[in-house]
Amino acid sequence: MMELFFKPKSVAVIGASGTPGKLGYVIVKNIVDSDFAGEVYPVNPKSDEILGYKVYRSVTEIPGEVDLVVTALPTPKLTVATMQECANKGVKAVIIESAGFAEMGGEGVSFQQQIVDIAKKNDIRVMGPNCSGIVSRNIVTSIYPMTKKVPNGNVVLIGQSGLLAAGMASDIVENESLAVNKVCSIGNKCDVNENDLLEYFGNEDEVEVISMYLETVTDGRNLTRIAKKVAAQKPVIFLSGGRTEAGAKAAMSHTGSIASNAKIVEAAVKQTGMIMADDFTELKDFAKVFSTQPLPKGNRIAVITLAGSVGVNVSDLCAGHGLELPKMTPETTEKLKDMFDTPVSNPVDLYFSVTKIGFTKTLENTFYDAFSDPNIDAAVIILAGFEYTQEAVQKKIIQKIVRDVDKPVVVCMIVGYNRYKNVIMDELGKDLPVFPSLISGVKALSKLCEYGIRQQKLSA
Amino acid sequence: MTTAEILSQAREEKRTVLTEIEAKQILGEAGINCTRTVLAASREEAVSISEEIGYPVVLKVSSVDITHKSDSGGVKVNLPDKAAVEKAYDEIMTSCRAYAPGADIEGVSVQGMAKAGIEIIMGMIRDASFGPVVMFGLGGVLVEVLKDVSFRIVPIDNNDAVDMTSEIQGKKLLEGYRGQESADVPCLQEMLVKLSDFVNDTPGIEEIDMNPVFAYSDGAVVVDARIILSSERVNF
Repeated sequence: MMELFFKPKSVAVIGASGTPGKLGYVIVKNIVDSDFAGEVYPVNPKSDEILGYKVYRSVTEIPGEVDLVVTALPTPKLTVATMQECANKGVKAVIIESAGFAEMGGEGVSFQQQIVDIAKKNDIRVMGPNCSGIVSRNIVTSIYPMTKKVPNGNVVLIGQSGLLAAGMASDIVENESLAVNKVCSIGNKCDVNENDLLEYFGNEDEVEVISMYLETVTDGRNLTRIAKKVAAQKPVIFLSGGRTEAGAKAAMSHTGSIASNAKIVEAAVKQTGMIMADDFTELKDFAKVFSTQPLPKGNRIAVITLAGSVGVNVSDLCAGHGLELPKMTPETTEKLKDMFDTPVSNPVDLYFSVTKIGFTKTLENTFYDAFSDPNIDAAVIILAGFEYTQEAVQKKIIQKIVRDVDKPVVVCMIVGYNRYKNVIMDELGKDLPVFPSLISGVKALSKLCEYGIRQQKLSA
Repeated sequence: MTTAEILSQAREEKRTVLTEIEAKQILGEAGINCTRTVLAASREEAVSISEEIGYPVVLKVSSVDITHKSDSGGVKVNLPDKAAVEKAYDEIMTSCRAYAPGADIEGVSVQGMAKAGIEIIMGMIRDASFGPVVMFGLGGVLVEVLKDVSFRIVPIDNNDAVDMTSEIQGKKLLEGYRGQESADVPCLQEMLVKLSDFVNDTPGIEEIDMNPVFAYSDGAVVVDARIILSSERVNF
């Protein structure tokens, strides 16, 4: 059934509009601009043609089968009526983007219930209401105009809020900052919820990382069951809103008075092997790290720096996040003895080497050897915004070494001239996870190590 | 009585709170070691049961209407002999009748006095979204002040139980801090799995406290237990 949402052969947009800027226009335009190759049926009783497509007065007038209906109607009442028409037409998948339902309370709750009743009776799956549906290469139902094609990447983002998911999708696609495969906004979750999507994307081979934001957990028991299965196969990054320390309810037991929603969600995350994100940036940043970097075998980190003081700070952060900074093997130490004024240590301070053989050669030799050391599982690379750094990035020297060594890295950029720094962040950021602070990079890497170690244990 | 009988009797009596004796009976049937706890309906019975169990004993008021047994003066511990048991029985009855006039008091529960061990709390609560959840922590003051506990969603396996006992801040206390007796951690983990299995298989349980559990270097025992049933009717 979920296939109908993501791989429909025909789609009807109810509330379609020919007026640029209107939501009903943006949705049709987004579908047309995507790689969607099936039939597109705009529905509007007052138009004849939208973007070159014949417009139908109602969904029941459409001659062919309709796999998916997207509605963006002005009132909940009209949406309920349309839902009944969809049932009459035999439609099995509906995305309701309009708001004005359970999130409003009062009448909205009963309108949403009517939608659920029609859906249940007619075996229809409903995404929403109050959502922006799907952003993917195959189909885009979002209300944000897309300026570029969605990459056929390996990351799925699932969000509740329509605006946020659509906004994040639009940013990511525009900036090419994350290889997304799909962004889904599930809104009020009157039917399709996180568990449906987690299970579906868990089974999709092209999806390698799932990143999910929930305001409420619909069915935590099932989420725990499904997430445990999925997280054993691919990373599931999880951000939950509404975590409170208040007791779950007026409890009669000691246990009940200590149990809070926050503690229970946290327990579920640990138990299933999901990765907890603490804000939206982390949701995206962690996804970037997991989707671009191989999994480390352990938590032994090389800190690569050109300034001693920065190295010290990163060492402290690593210790606070459960990462170790081991010594290099005697072989590496011997090999690199001419590149350091004192024997190579960790953090690996490249300054002496750079003054001796230049930046590019230092990367290709000194950094390469230290990073390849068998004692090292992953690296934090601290770059500064200088001309020679920019050159190395543009010639893809750093990217190539990282690929050759085949261990995970995060790059942190904290100083330098802005004109270089920005270019480095953007350009390198397309290939590797680049962070504007040390703590964000270290934290992301610690999550990758944690998951990598867990996977090692699971496969042992 | 079996677990099923206790639960259906409570339902018939429209009770959601089980007595300590009932709770321990149920947990015992689930394979969880509890202190031997027997109901005595009279002073004479209290003495004969105490002699069978062996002194010292603990007497606790047994009444579905009195949930705060200590506050009502309904708990007497470390009773060394027959005279002490008789006196304690009378005092409990007097105090509890004054504390809760009209309460249905079925008698006292007589329990062996467990030797002190590391105080542990284990419990379970049913969350609206996640369903039954089990808890592990250090008991006594530590749980009240620091809330140093860990939770897992039911059902849990042994690995989850290992994570639960190693996750708490005070885990060093389990290893025998400063010459104190260490706790039989594998035994505690096994108890958590049994608790999880029990609530997973038994609908209608809303909350469980096993507080305290005394952990020793060899084994552990539930000293006090409480079970709250769901208020809605559940078919067993």
